[in-house]
Amino acid sequence: MDTTGAGALIKALEDVGCEVIFGMPGGAILPAYDPLYDSKIRHVLVRHEQGAGHAAQGYAQATGRVGVCMATSGPGATNLVTPLADAYMDSVPIVAITGQVARSVIGTDAFQEADIRSITLPITKHSFQVHDPADIPRVIAEAFMLASSGRPGPVLVDLPKDVLATATTYTPPKLALPPRPVLSPVQIRNAAQLIGSSKRPVFYVGGGVIRSGAAQELRKLAERTGIPVVTTLMARGAFPDSHPLHLGMPGMHGTVPAVAALQRADLLIALGTRFDDRVTGLLPEFAPHAAVIHADIDPAEISKNRKADVGIVGDCRDVMAALSAVITRKTDLTEWWNYLGGLVTTYPLGYDWPADGMLAPQYVIERISKLAGPEAIYTAGVGQHQMWAAQYVRYERPGSFINSGGAGTMGFAVPAAMGAQTGAPDRTVWAIDGDGCFQMTNQELATCAAEGIPIKVAIINNGNLGMVRQWQTLFYEGRYSNTRLGTHQRHPDFVKLADALGCVGLRCEDQSEVDGTILEAMAVRDRPVVVDFVVGQDALVWPMVAAGTGNDEIMAARGIRPLFDEEE
Amino acid sequence: MTRHSLSLLLRNEPGALARIVVLFSSRGVDVESLSLAPAERGDLSRLDVIVDLQPGRTVVQLIKQLGRVVDVKNVVDRTHDEAIELGA
Ligand SMILES: Cc1ncc(C[n+]2csc(CCOP(=O)(O)OP(=O)(O)O)c2C)c(N)n1
Ligand SMILES: [Mg+2]
Repeated sequence: MDTTGAGALIKALEDVGCEVIFGMPGGAILPAYDPLYDSKIRHVLVRHEQGAGHAAQGYAQATGRVGVCMATSGPGATNLVTPLADAYMDSVPIVAITGQVARSVIGTDAFQEADIRSITLPITKHSFQVHDPADIPRVIAEAFMLASSGRPGPVLVDLPKDVLATATTYTPPKLALPPRPVLSPVQIRNAAQLIGSSKRPVFYVGGGVIRSGAAQELRKLAERTGIPVVTTLMARGAFPDSHPLHLGMPGMHGTVPAVAALQRADLLIALGTRFDDRVTGLLPEFAPHAAVIHADIDPAEISKNRKADVGIVGDCRDVMAALSAVITRKTDLTEWWNYLGGLVTTYPLGYDWPADGMLAPQYVIERISKLAGPEAIYTAGVGQHQMWAAQYVRYERPGSFINSGGAGTMGFAVPAAMGAQTGAPDRTVWAIDGDGCFQMTNQELATCAAEGIPIKVAIINNGNLGMVRQWQTLFYEGRYSNTRLGTHQRHPDFVKLADALGCVGLRCEDQSEVDGTILEAMAVRDRPVVVDFVVGQDALVWPMVAAGTGNDEIMAARGIRPLFDEEE
Repeated sequence: MTRHSLSLLLRNEPGALARIVVLFSSRGVDVESLSLAPAERGDLSRLDVIVDLQPGRTVVQLIKQLGRVVDVKNVVDRTHDEAIELGA
């Protein structure tokens, strides 16, 4: 087929199954927008390229497919840097397509030239700059393959304008996913033996289990062995919160039973997880009595932070299926469960209502979870509200919680919700956002309004950069330097802002109105809805392991250190 | 600091060398010497590097991280060979 580089690009995207692109046109990428005009691929015109990148991430995580974003050269491309870094940290499969200045002027500081390949080298899995239009279909196929195979991640395709404009013939790309790694039978046997002889084992489950679609296998293996499960921030939903074997989230703001299970274990079965510092606390004091089985598709993660006694390179789904096949009997874990069960009873998640009579933020999130249910998708920004969204929403299925874990990118929630809703139009999508985060990316609500993407946004408006304020409360003697936002004084007025952006704006300040307001928001189906939940500013996220301390110092609340006191 | 001598086979793709060098700087690896030359196979280059690792970082870890780079076809640790050569 005779076409141009641009025509080949759009045709190749169609052929690899791309159904939506989040992007914004501009000089260098303009040739690509012409064939896109006639394509069956949907284009969502964002208001800022960062929104396009996070939307691609939200789409990818809601659907399990590759998300695509597109931007012009220079500032368009550099606006994608944050989402690329975010996707790299959280292993999200996205392909970013950027325009570039013409080949003849690359390297001359031409108008809107930025060396985006070099800029993004440490935050992309791979990148391409195409110099021959005939290569475009192959490069697009490879980019999709690289983004989604092995450990997923972001791939950049940089396209000089003249390459897009040059005539070429189209050859359909071949999409061949590389085979999954073959498991070592010896390591599987060694792992099974360790599991069989352990007295205090725990499944330490990370986001890799969600990426590999292994939730079913996890449930089977957990039920077969009766071993307790903890799910990290990136793995919320990989195992049902309602399941009796589930102890919740470990880490800095994890539950006491989940943290205790890791600290007191004699065996960690780590699946698709990377021993992140927010989970381990002070590394030398992490899980001091435990042997470690570590399964991950990325060999570079195994023994990176904590030495594995048995390392298994493989896809989590294959690893768990193989383990299920060789483990036939339950070991007696009565004593272990007696200990953990005691903690579950003594230290459930809980919160106090603010003394000043304002709304408890945790209550708002609890009610959204109750009324929207486990079939909804929840996204979060970064801060206190994110931790409460991880703690107080009850997740029952993988892909139902989408947040920025590794990078901690404020402003993630709204554009990620937009992408998730685009990929899952029949689900209710709630963005649980902070008043600080919301002000970074709320312009994408104009996109949602214009495109008919009816997301719901719950602003947990505590008037402050709450998480930073929490650290000031605990570690800086309450010296609140530059954390007050003025959002309680209506700077800005979120209801009016929502209205101006083409959304329904609601406000809720009283406990008696919470359910009614959530239901009112859920009844709106033709437009996005923003609810300004005005909540108290002094609520703190508990439990907490202070940065730089060991997990044994976990505080269930201020001054209450259950594990530390246990030892004395 | 521990010193290691590595030999890599890279695909002759634009940006391949940059990606390796950036990996070194992102991961806090000190480069002592570096030389790039065509390999026997025309579509590959051979990169020989001597690096210093920070305390607590292992060369096995670095080799695995290099192995993740799409353009890297092979990495070998020649630290031992080097010692023999120097000792001879
Ligand atoms: C882009 C970015 N800038 C700064 C930070 C540091 N930071 C982490 S949480 C936070 C406060 C977030 O405030 P808000 O969105 O209101 O959430 P809250 O903690 O109040 O729930 C800040 C500034 C960050 N994570 N990301
Ligand atoms: Mg806030």
